[in-house]
Amino acid sequence: MAAPPPPPPQWVIDLNTPPAARPKSAGIVDPPGYTASSTGSKARSPKQVSSKTPARAPPTTEEMDVLKLKKAWEVALAPVKQLPMTAIMMYMSGNSLQIFSIMMVLMAFKNPFMGLMATNQAFERFESKGTRAKLIMVKGVYVAMQILALALGIWKVNKMGLLPTTRSDWLAWETVRDPMEIAIPAF
Amino acid sequence: MRLPTNLLYLTLSILPSAFAVFADEAYNVDYHYELLGIPQPHTTFFHRPRKDEKATLLYTLSDLGVLGAVNPGVGNVVWRQFLGQDAHSETGFLRPVEGENTVVSAIGSSVNAWDAMSGREIWGNNFGGAIRDLEVLETATGNDEARDVLALFEEGGNAYLRMLKGTNGDVAWEYKDGSSDVPLQVSTNVRNVFVVSLHGSSGGYNLKVTILDPVTGKRTNEYTLTTKADIYAPEDVLLVGANSAAPIIAWTDKPMKNLKVNILGKTGDIQNLPLKESDGEITKVALHAPHLVQSLPHFVVHSHSDVSNRADVYHIDLSHKSIKLAYSLPKLPGQGAISVSSQDANVYFTRHTQDEVVVVSSASHGILGRWPLKLEKGRGSFVHGASEVVQRTADTYAVRSAVVTTDQDWVLVRNGAEGWSRLEGLSGIVAATWAEIPESESLAKVLEVEAESNPLSAYIHRVTRHIDDLQYLPDYLQNLPKRFLSSILPGESAPQKQGVLARDNFGFNKLVIVATQRGRLYGLDAGNQGSIVWSLGAFEIPAGKKWDVKGIWASPSKGTTTVRGAEGEFIQVNTTTGETIASTTPGSAPVIQSTVVVDGPLQKWLLPIGTNGEPGQVPAVLAPKEYLVVQGKNGEVKGLKFETKGDVANPVVTWTFTPPADHRVTGVVSRPAHDPVASIGNVLGDRTVLYKYLNPNIVLVTTVSDEASLASFYLLDTVSGDILYSTIHEGVDTKQPIASALTENWFSYSLWADITPTTDALPASKGYQIIISEMYESQIPNDRGPLDSVPESSSLEPSDIPNAEPALPHVITQSFLIPEAIGHMSVTETRQGITTRQLLCTLPSSNAIVGIPRTVLDPRRPVGRDPTPAELEEGLYRYHPVIEFDPKLILTHKREVIGVKDVITSPAILESTSLVFAYGIDVFGTRVTPSFAFDILGKGFNKLSLVSTVIALWVGVVVLAPMVRRKQINGRWMA
Repeated sequence: MAAPPPPPPQWVIDLNTPPAARPKSAGIVDPPGYTASSTGSKARSPKQVSSKTPARAPPTTEEMDVLKLKKAWEVALAPVKQLPMTAIMMYMSGNSLQIFSIMMVLMAFKNPFMGLMATNQAFERFESKGTRAKLIMVKGVYVAMQILALALGIWKVNKMGLLPTTRSDWLAWETVRDPMEIAIPAF
Repeated sequence: MRLPTNLLYLTLSILPSAFAVFADEAYNVDYHYELLGIPQPHTTFFHRPRKDEKATLLYTLSDLGVLGAVNPGVGNVVWRQFLGQDAHSETGFLRPVEGENTVVSAIGSSVNAWDAMSGREIWGNNFGGAIRDLEVLETATGNDEARDVLALFEEGGNAYLRMLKGTNGDVAWEYKDGSSDVPLQVSTNVRNVFVVSLHGSSGGYNLKVTILDPVTGKRTNEYTLTTKADIYAPEDVLLVGANSAAPIIAWTDKPMKNLKVNILGKTGDIQNLPLKESDGEITKVALHAPHLVQSLPHFVVHSHSDVSNRADVYHIDLSHKSIKLAYSLPKLPGQGAISVSSQDANVYFTRHTQDEVVVVSSASHGILGRWPLKLEKGRGSFVHGASEVVQRTADTYAVRSAVVTTDQDWVLVRNGAEGWSRLEGLSGIVAATWAEIPESESLAKVLEVEAESNPLSAYIHRVTRHIDDLQYLPDYLQNLPKRFLSSILPGESAPQKQGVLARDNFGFNKLVIVATQRGRLYGLDAGNQGSIVWSLGAFEIPAGKKWDVKGIWASPSKGTTTVRGAEGEFIQVNTTTGETIASTTPGSAPVIQSTVVVDGPLQKWLLPIGTNGEPGQVPAVLAPKEYLVVQGKNGEVKGLKFETKGDVANPVVTWTFTPPADHRVTGVVSRPAHDPVASIGNVLGDRTVLYKYLNPNIVLVTTVSDEASLASFYLLDTVSGDILYSTIHEGVDTKQPIASALTENWFSYSLWADITPTTDALPASKGYQIIISEMYESQIPNDRGPLDSVPESSSLEPSDIPNAEPALPHVITQSFLIPEAIGHMSVTETRQGITTRQLLCTLPSSNAIVGIPRTVLDPRRPVGRDPTPAELEEGLYRYHPVIEFDPKLILTHKREVIGVKDVITSPAILESTSLVFAYGIDVFGTRVTPSFAFDILGKGFNKLSLVSTVIALWVGVVVLAPMVRRKQINGRWMA
């Protein structure tokens, strides 16, 4: 008669079931619904886990497209959400040329530019057959928002007097009128 | 091991000077010749400033009216007083008060007594008329009261002799000579006062001697000497011995055969002393006699012929009142000078000849001292001098003489050796100009030669040239550490090689060519503390006259300087060496009133303008294309244009500006020839632009009316003759100086104005004022006026509409009160006109030059309110009616620069810097940076710390780099 196989040695058991990770500070009870063995026992009893949370039906393509579009809208509108904050900081930082305001102006130009350059990359994730047509509008809004941010930067530069918008900025290119006659003083 | 010790020694030898006090720029960039003018023979003497002091000072009243005391030991000026500024006649008198701390001067109409030590005025008194002679009255008894002064005046055709009290200068008595005789001199012995005057008419004079009582001033006697055949002018009388025991009067007959002498007080007695002719006719006779009562009554007659000079010593017998020849000094070739000095009763004559100095006593012909003459360089021959003889022991003597030479230097000769010399000939400059040092052309020429020859020979030529250059390598290497150290160590500017004229990188090395009123030309090196490079006697100007230089122009292309005088004389010299290239004598060309540098089709040249502003006909090849602006006979301003007809060009008057009736033109100024403008508009605080009115063809004419106390200023367009702007000031003192300057788009002028009852418009003020006006194309910002932005403008046809009005500038004016009168105004010039201009004003009353910044003189400063932020951004601050001449604005700082007539400026290569040269009696030069030295490291920049920081960092890197590398490698093994 065949004897039942001997139980696996202790080290095999230990190897298969490593002790659950203990929190560093002992004495804190796990929150309700947390199963300490979930990670450790996942391999051993997958059925148990799946049986606890009912399996969700995978989303359909349409649903996915809607979700992607939502996400895309969020991305498109992200730059404008920072604008009030940036505007306030710009307003507060004054119009003098200091390291702080210069850095801020640099950022105000760099970010929209980088954003505009990476327009397609930003929406690559949401690209699919269904969303492609709708994404164009989203992209348009995204570009508009970036331009808005850029405009804020330009407004700031203008406030700082760095834009050649006045007559004095072009004074160096204006020339003095040449006199057609010359008179030499001789007294 | 040789090199390190050498280096160590070099470093140590440099260290002490490197850590000395940093010299400020004062006394470093500026230079000053403290001048007196040429000392006059009768007003130069040695005198003890204090009775009990042994050392003497040398006093003189020069031909320019500068009274000064010079330390005879080193030749520096102890004190100076400028007396000639009000005096119209330049003959002054200066007498020491023997045994007192005073010298007494008289010039023009005033008599002053000065403290001999400090130069402070003790008393002064002013009279009408002009001074003719001055004498200190000797008293017989040695009482302690200050000695009285006799002053002879000519006033309204009458002679007045006034005795002034020695304590306060008040008149003790006055004697009026009712006749219309010409007062000549006053002389005293202890008992009597003698007034010598010329009696008769200009056809020949008799000498009249009036004898007065010194206590009451009453006339005691009078006699006349018949001299009609000999004396035609006051200059013909040689000498009236002053305060000697037996004063004499002497003159020569016309052919200079006999000397005629009258001992004053001996009626009708004329003694004939024959003048011995040795070789050729005698051309000049001079008499020298002691000026002290206690001195022996001896005198010397010094006669010159063209080639030699000799002297006779005469003694006066007091009891018989007779004159007899004592001995003669031998004839010696060339010119010489004899001076008299007396010590107690002894009288010494010092004779300066071409190669020795001889001292003799008046009593006997034995030579007391003889020294060979050792001068540092050729200075010409001696003209006259003052000397001091000191008896050291029983038979050793020492002598020092201050002698004026024909090169117009004032040299002190101490026992035959040159003690010091003063360049008094440099005083009294009438014209000056800047000149560039010509570039060394040798290298350029060599390169040109190489470029023209064939490649192989050019290559060989170049290789040989470089091998030749190797001989300079050791020298170069030797100088390298020195150059390096001198460039990094503070306080030590690279010392310039003496006698080498070379341009520098900053453009500070420039020459100034000056012409003096005595007909001499000098070349000064402005980059080397104004040292004299060359000097030249251009023309002999007779005494009492001034060389009237009308034009001086240094041609940069030819390296020559041309000077034109009023009487048609002309001299052309090499700018760097002073060699005469060409010259004509006075009178050989028509009289001219001014000159102008014109650009003819062939070349630039100096066009002389004749009287009444007529340049006359010129050859067509030289005729300038431009219009000329000249002044006419009565000061009216005229525009001229040359019209070519065949081979000649004739000037045609295109317009004339005549001042209103009873006004006269006192000044015309134009923009400087070099007047670049970097920015054509003023940027306002809100970043709009006010466009400057930049017309190069404008002049500012000043006219005054003496009767109505008015001063008017007219801004004229010099092409069309249009009046662009005019203003009138009431209550102006027309006797006070009115200075004006015009540059860029602004002009300024200064005057003395009073509040008049008729002024009602503006709050008027009384005092010296400076008025500044800025001209703009339009009063509206961002507007270029009626001409808008057309690229070319014509003053004759301002727009397409026929007979249109000219575009008038919009003028903004502001006036400021200043503490004192401004004698002359000029503006700084820089290379590109980026630097703001500074107004340089001479202040005659404080002997200084002030540089007023334009930010102070801004007519747009807000009046009666604080500036807005926009105005603050422009640098405008609140108007304050008074400009104080802050000592920081005074360019001359502690120096006293007297008699400045004109200030000329020149741009350096550095944009920030303008070179300034002021001349007149004194010479002063400096560099100014109106917008601060923004393009050069200042003296305060610590190059040493910069270099040591770099070295320390380098050492740190060298030391730390292996350590860090080792640590990194170790770190990798540890991990």
